[in-house]
Amino acid sequence: MTAPGEESSVSSGFVRSYVITGGRGLPDAEDLSLVTLVTLAPDRQPPPSPSPEVKAIWELCSGGYLSVAEVAGHLGLPVGVARLLLQDLNQQGHLLRRKAPPPAQLVDRKILEEVLHGLQVRFG
Amino acid sequence: MALEVSLMTFPQGPVIWALVVVALVAVGAVLRARATNIKLRRRNTELNGERDTLLRQRDELLVVHNGLLQRQASELAEVRKDAEEETKAVLKAAVRTLQGLADEQQVVIEKAQRKYGDDPGILADLMAMDHANSQFGRRAQGIAVLCGGWLGRRETVASVFDVARSAQGRIRHFDRVRVNGQVNFSVVSRAVEPVAVVLAELLANATNYSAPGTPVEINIQAVPTGVCLIVDDAGLGMGQEEKDRAAALLSPQAAISVSSLGIPPQFGFAVSGMLAARYGFRVSVDSVSPYGGVRAVVLIPDELLTTEVPQPAAPAEAPETYDAYGTQQEPEAAQPDRWQQAPAPAPTPLFPPADRRPDTATQQLAQITTTSGGLPKRRRKSPVSAVPPAAPQPVRSNEETASRLGAFQRGTRSGRDTTTTTEGSEIQ
Repeated sequence: MTAPGEESSVSSGFVRSYVITGGRGLPDAEDLSLVTLVTLAPDRQPPPSPSPEVKAIWELCSGGYLSVAEVAGHLGLPVGVARLLLQDLNQQGHLLRRKAPPPAQLVDRKILEEVLHGLQVRFG
Repeated sequence: MALEVSLMTFPQGPVIWALVVVALVAVGAVLRARATNIKLRRRNTELNGERDTLLRQRDELLVVHNGLLQRQASELAEVRKDAEEETKAVLKAAVRTLQGLADEQQVVIEKAQRKYGDDPGILADLMAMDHANSQFGRRAQGIAVLCGGWLGRRETVASVFDVARSAQGRIRHFDRVRVNGQVNFSVVSRAVEPVAVVLAELLANATNYSAPGTPVEINIQAVPTGVCLIVDDAGLGMGQEEKDRAAALLSPQAAISVSSLGIPPQFGFAVSGMLAARYGFRVSVDSVSPYGGVRAVVLIPDELLTTEVPQPAAPAEAPETYDAYGTQQEPEAAQPDRWQQAPAPAPTPLFPPADRRPDTATQQLAQITTTSGGLPKRRRKSPVSAVPPAAPQPVRSNEETASRLGAFQRGTRSGRDTTTTTEGSEIQ
């Protein structure tokens, strides 16, 4: 509680996420996964009177490939909201997408154990 | 002869006697009448005197009566005022808790949105919760204002466009609202919430009193004395009586009684009027929109505007609130689990440190982020930081000092002024 006459501060975010999406349905996660890399297509003009979020995405993505998760993180928005905005830009042809490099093949645990055993036998 | 005389006079004898008797009776009657008359006159004088006394007494009583009536009326008014004030104080204290809880819940929902934002289904549900909570918060704020309480202060300035969008998020039919036009002005931090709440009330009226599905527009326009937020709806408009009532509520001469707002209470205009008067901006609803409905105009004067650019949205908020739940506290620590599937790239600051020139910064970016082969390179910067640079801190603390001083000044002013609301006198 605050002292008499003193106004307590409000800590919640100011613009709600459903206002940013305009109440539209959210795209599926498969379309632009967290690790999909996006960047601006060359020689594109930003859409007329972009929202602050679109403007921020434009600046972020102009520098090279960033993952969807990174874009969302920098904007401070939920991934789903950033994904919707990115999807809009993608549909307008402003974005280039690239699948993330496939995750490294994990070596079988058994092989690692055998190697360890071998080393222990030889040097241990 | 003597007999004859006696005979002659005899017949006259009774007549004379009768006359004498009559005369005597008459004299007696006259005397009696005179006595009665005198008595009556005396009585009359007495009664007149008595009447005068009584009349005087009556006048005195009337004066006393009027005095009592006046006293009763003033005492009644005082009692009513006391009761109203007591009710307001109780309501204000109760609503303050609700305001705090709504704000807290909003923060929790925001965190959840960021945490589970990858799942469209969960995120959509969280957004629905957020929407309901925002409306709840607005209602609580409205009641607080009517009871002379505070809205809650924002720490940073917000662009006029964001204030409009924030207001949009606080009403039920936010999807019918369109915000047009952007100006290069921000609203000073102390006026951010009031303007947003007033605009939200106007939007709520606009959407509630127009046909479902019809659009409601917010147009942002810079005018010589400030910035106008113009809300146009396509409803039926207001009659003269409603306009008069609205005008009276929008420029309040005295504290508004909570009980005079009807059931269910219609407090949109009352809240708008009180906030506008308290923070020094103007609200009017007397013109007609191009769509035939109401045109409501909020004029934010230059004093409440700044050219300061709002801080970029940073996902950091007071973490200690959630200690009890055992969740991760530090925003930096919480971030990696959001993209645990990603190969954890070094987070770079959203913007370079303060006072950046967009053009040169973009040029630098372009230089840095292409390889010799012309391929784009990922940005990787040090120091690694996801929080905004510390440079603007002193600026903000100055402003905070100024706003505290301002609040103190307002408090002393409202303490001296008997006609204003009791915003500064609450005892916790």
